[in-house]
Amino acid sequence: MSQLPINGVRRVGQEVRDQNVMAVSAISNVVKSSLGPVGLDKMLVDEVGDVTITNDGATILKLIEVEHPAAKIMVELAILQDEEVGDGTTSVVIIAAELIKRANELVKNSIHPTTIISGYQRARKEACKFIADHMTKKVDTLGRKCLLEAAKTAMSSKIIGLDADFFAEIAVTAIERVRHVSEESKVEKKDAKGRSSVKNVNILKVHGKSQNDSRLVDGIALYQTRAAQGMPRSLKNARIALVDFDLRKTKLQFNVNVLITNPENLEAIRDRETELTKERIDLLLDAGVNVVISTKGIDDLAMKYFIDRNCIAIRRVSKRDAKRIARATGGRVLISLADIDNEGGEVIDESSIGVAESVHEERIGDEDIFFINGCQTTRSQTLILRGANDFMLDEMERSIHDALCIVKRTLESNRVVPGGGAVEVALSVHLEHVAESMGSREQLAIFEFAQALLVIPKTLATNGAYDAAELIANLRAFHNAAQTQENKKHYMWTGLDLTKGQVRDNFAAGVLEPAMSKIKSIRFATEAAITILRIDEHITMNPKVNPKNPAGDEM
Amino acid sequence: RNSRPVLIVYRFRKSRLEMANAGGAPIMVMNQSTQRESGRKAQLSNIAAAKAVADIIRTTLGPRSMLKMMLDPMGGIVMTNDGFAILREIDVSHPSAKSMIELSRTQDEEVGDGTTSVIILAGEMLHVALPFLEKVKLHPTVIVAAYRKALDDCLSTLETLARPIDCENREEMLRVVRSSLGTKFVSLFGDLMCSLALDAVQTIAVDIDDSKKKDVDIKRYARIEKIPGGELSDSKVLSGVMINKDITHASMRRTIENPRIMLLDCPLEYKKGESITNIEMLNPADWKRYLEIEEEYIEKICKDIQSFKPDVVITEKGVSDLAQHFLQQANISVLRRVRKSDNNRLARATGATIGHQPDLMHESDIGTRCGLFEVRKIGDEYWTFIENCKDPKACTIMLRGASKDVLSEIERNLHDAMNVARNVICDPRVLPGGGATELALAAALRSNSQSMHGVSLRPYQAVAAALEIIPKTLIENCGGHVIRLLTELRAKHANGKHTTWGIDGVKGRIVDMEELNIWEPFLVKSQTIKTSIESATVLLRIDDILSGVSKGKRDPAGGGGLQQQQTDPETFGDERDG
Repeated sequence: MSQLPINGVRRVGQEVRDQNVMAVSAISNVVKSSLGPVGLDKMLVDEVGDVTITNDGATILKLIEVEHPAAKIMVELAILQDEEVGDGTTSVVIIAAELIKRANELVKNSIHPTTIISGYQRARKEACKFIADHMTKKVDTLGRKCLLEAAKTAMSSKIIGLDADFFAEIAVTAIERVRHVSEESKVEKKDAKGRSSVKNVNILKVHGKSQNDSRLVDGIALYQTRAAQGMPRSLKNARIALVDFDLRKTKLQFNVNVLITNPENLEAIRDRETELTKERIDLLLDAGVNVVISTKGIDDLAMKYFIDRNCIAIRRVSKRDAKRIARATGGRVLISLADIDNEGGEVIDESSIGVAESVHEERIGDEDIFFINGCQTTRSQTLILRGANDFMLDEMERSIHDALCIVKRTLESNRVVPGGGAVEVALSVHLEHVAESMGSREQLAIFEFAQALLVIPKTLATNGAYDAAELIANLRAFHNAAQTQENKKHYMWTGLDLTKGQVRDNFAAGVLEPAMSKIKSIRFATEAAITILRIDEHITMNPKVNPKNPAGDEM
Repeated sequence: RNSRPVLIVYRFRKSRLEMANAGGAPIMVMNQSTQRESGRKAQLSNIAAAKAVADIIRTTLGPRSMLKMMLDPMGGIVMTNDGFAILREIDVSHPSAKSMIELSRTQDEEVGDGTTSVIILAGEMLHVALPFLEKVKLHPTVIVAAYRKALDDCLSTLETLARPIDCENREEMLRVVRSSLGTKFVSLFGDLMCSLALDAVQTIAVDIDDSKKKDVDIKRYARIEKIPGGELSDSKVLSGVMINKDITHASMRRTIENPRIMLLDCPLEYKKGESITNIEMLNPADWKRYLEIEEEYIEKICKDIQSFKPDVVITEKGVSDLAQHFLQQANISVLRRVRKSDNNRLARATGATIGHQPDLMHESDIGTRCGLFEVRKIGDEYWTFIENCKDPKACTIMLRGASKDVLSEIERNLHDAMNVARNVICDPRVLPGGGATELALAAALRSNSQSMHGVSLRPYQAVAAALEIIPKTLIENCGGHVIRLLTELRAKHANGKHTTWGIDGVKGRIVDMEELNIWEPFLVKSQTIKTSIESATVLLRIDDILSGVSKGKRDPAGGGGLQQQQTDPETFGDERDG
């Protein structure tokens, strides 16, 4: 190694490719057994012994410490899928790993990686087109049921899978409520479906009770409790002011000194400090506000003002929550009360006060939770999850999040495809036909791409301990018929039934996934595979040695 | 049995070692510190760990339960038979064992009782799944689905078994509380503890506005003060509050009848403003004036206070010597540096509002509901009693007893008892105790299973068998003949009529709970079953345990280039050598 012109270790050609394949396979093997409705969970324990129980591919990969660079690409792939689509993280990793593995075999048979890459790209294009043209159904024609089914499919592999009906209803209702059609799009008549942001569905976790006791609150719920016990527990016709400034004794900014010469003035400063806060509170309360929610502190001295007027004050609410409340109640977060027209004066604008039918505090489990109900819009929803312990709640949150994302994607893309391996098998059959029509070397790459897609139904079947070979042969026969014979077109929706280990029409059975998620996962997987395939040399630099301390032992 | 926790640690470590030795992993994709246990091995180790945790506390169930004594690393001792208190002290390393311990915490926070049974039940739920995984090789999701169905059926059966109870009827309420305390250390002291718990809870129960529900906030409004010395029978629920404080000035009044009480959360001393202020004094007289202002301020607030003619002033902050002097002159007793939570209780008990500025108080803010203010010396400490309040909505429970450790255990028991009372007030339904409910559920599940078919049948029946662990443990703990009694009971329950028959945990015979009067709150029972089955399903779904992963420490994508370079050569070095 010493003759190398670089200060490091260098490896080229087949050795690198073999190593990459091994690394990505290892990653895919970690998540493989969590795929599908009969997939199982992983328990991850960190150095201090904290436990995470999860079924979500992205979460698993985020937590395990991956060192190999190719494996890192896979982890990032899963994270990308998680951010873009929110679900399908496991399958994207499995497909990518299979693509790389098969490509490596081709390279060993003296096919140049660039040929494989162009073949893969071609196959990807064909696949995405095929999904869009043949495999989708419109959500509009299928109605709400279709959303529920898509949500259920997303949950089926998760901890909440057994209560999928219950949670699907929650997820769909939540997304429907937070859907927002902006004014511009109404005018221009496009994007009429509106957008729904998953972020508007806030999730609170309180352990205790059972997962069926989870509930969706139309409005806001906060972990906070009222600032003083003397305040009322509940109020009707709440007028809410959201303040983003301190309601503590007014304090001059850091480093500002007041210099006085007359001791009497000292007392005046002290009085003014308290009075300023009192004036602000009076201003708020005189405007008819009866709930004050502050992102900063509220002084103990102010409590009595609120108690005397039978008002509620809550302090140290997070900014995110404050914005959410503002959105829901039609209020505005007040940065200051400064009046522009009247220099130095303070006013409160009527339009910045939020309105809700009622607010109340409730004890759930061991926590006090503050509810704001009957808001002006339904754009903020809160989901209160219950469950046996914290690990379970965390996993429930992740699962619900996936389901929410899927419902949102289904609404946005407006198209669904059947799940349970149906799309993959159909694509595989289709791509084989495409491959046969090609006369160049890319034929082989496309053929391998087609084979690689079968890894999804194969893994699904294996996880359920079924005879994967037979089931897939069966599926392929159906899809081949659907694609070649006009009168058997309805076989197109055939996928796996993993509770019974049979094949069935997955559209009728209600196993649906948003088309966008499928297309994106194929696209991402191919791109990741290509990235890794292009590598033919691996240089690892030796750690830099400190010139002043050549031994480097004190680095 | 106490050596069990160590055993878990050991077992797990060993398997880690094995992994490392058998390692020789082809390529170091993951961090070398990451250990992995997967497939059946992971499932079995989960079950073993859960079972081990359950076994630790099995002997603490029922009226013949034994205490555990634990030494903590600091050398302190804990003596208890409260499931949660035991598990809290144990340091386990197996992740599933941790998950189990979390369960009892959930149970403790949600209903406050049944922490032992939830662990025993969850451990058994996992244990009965073992043969399905090992021999029959059922898929875990099938077992989970069957468990889930069994849970739903259990809950609906519980509804039919439950019977309403009249919260106003003291006898009935006492009976329920007594059943809960029956298993505890304090059961020796008979009804005293039961009435303490019941009195305390009934004192602090308030109606939630415009609904029939009651709100009982034990954490905030019922405080337990433990004073070593005296006898247990000296313990009582005060119709008011006691605080561990003495009056600030020796010559203030120590006993006042029907006092007017003023509560403050501000200091009665001069406090500088928040802003940074500098004074430049040009005149020596100014200095004098400056000091006078401080005194004038104190005098003013004391005048303000006096104008309300309070007999007692209690503040959360400090009181300066000067203020003490003024108030003492005005014949007002002062307590300072009271805790916020104590002040809140005082406010509820006396009807006062906590004020911040003496000049902004109103007449209505003065508390007048208190009957007697008195400072007493108990043992070595001074305690202030604010007693005989009219309709106090907060209270202190004074516990007396031989030693601190004993008192701590009594406190835990009392806490459980209060929670039981609270649960009944919140949901006035009860279920038969002594394992009768579990047996009735098991019988119901068995009869349901007659009409079932398919692979889920056997795990469904297994839930029924698992539920019997509760009566079984009760029999074991009192030395009864397990098989004979259990089969006898099963026969009783089989026809679905004798649903109240269970175990007399003292005498070890079967008995009708109507006779023995052992009743448990519906909320506790249903929560126990929900938590145990759900947690079992979580653990059963796991097929891979990866330990040594990093949480939240991971560099964001692409970051940490240098670090990567430093770690990689090592990895590939290994590979090349091998």
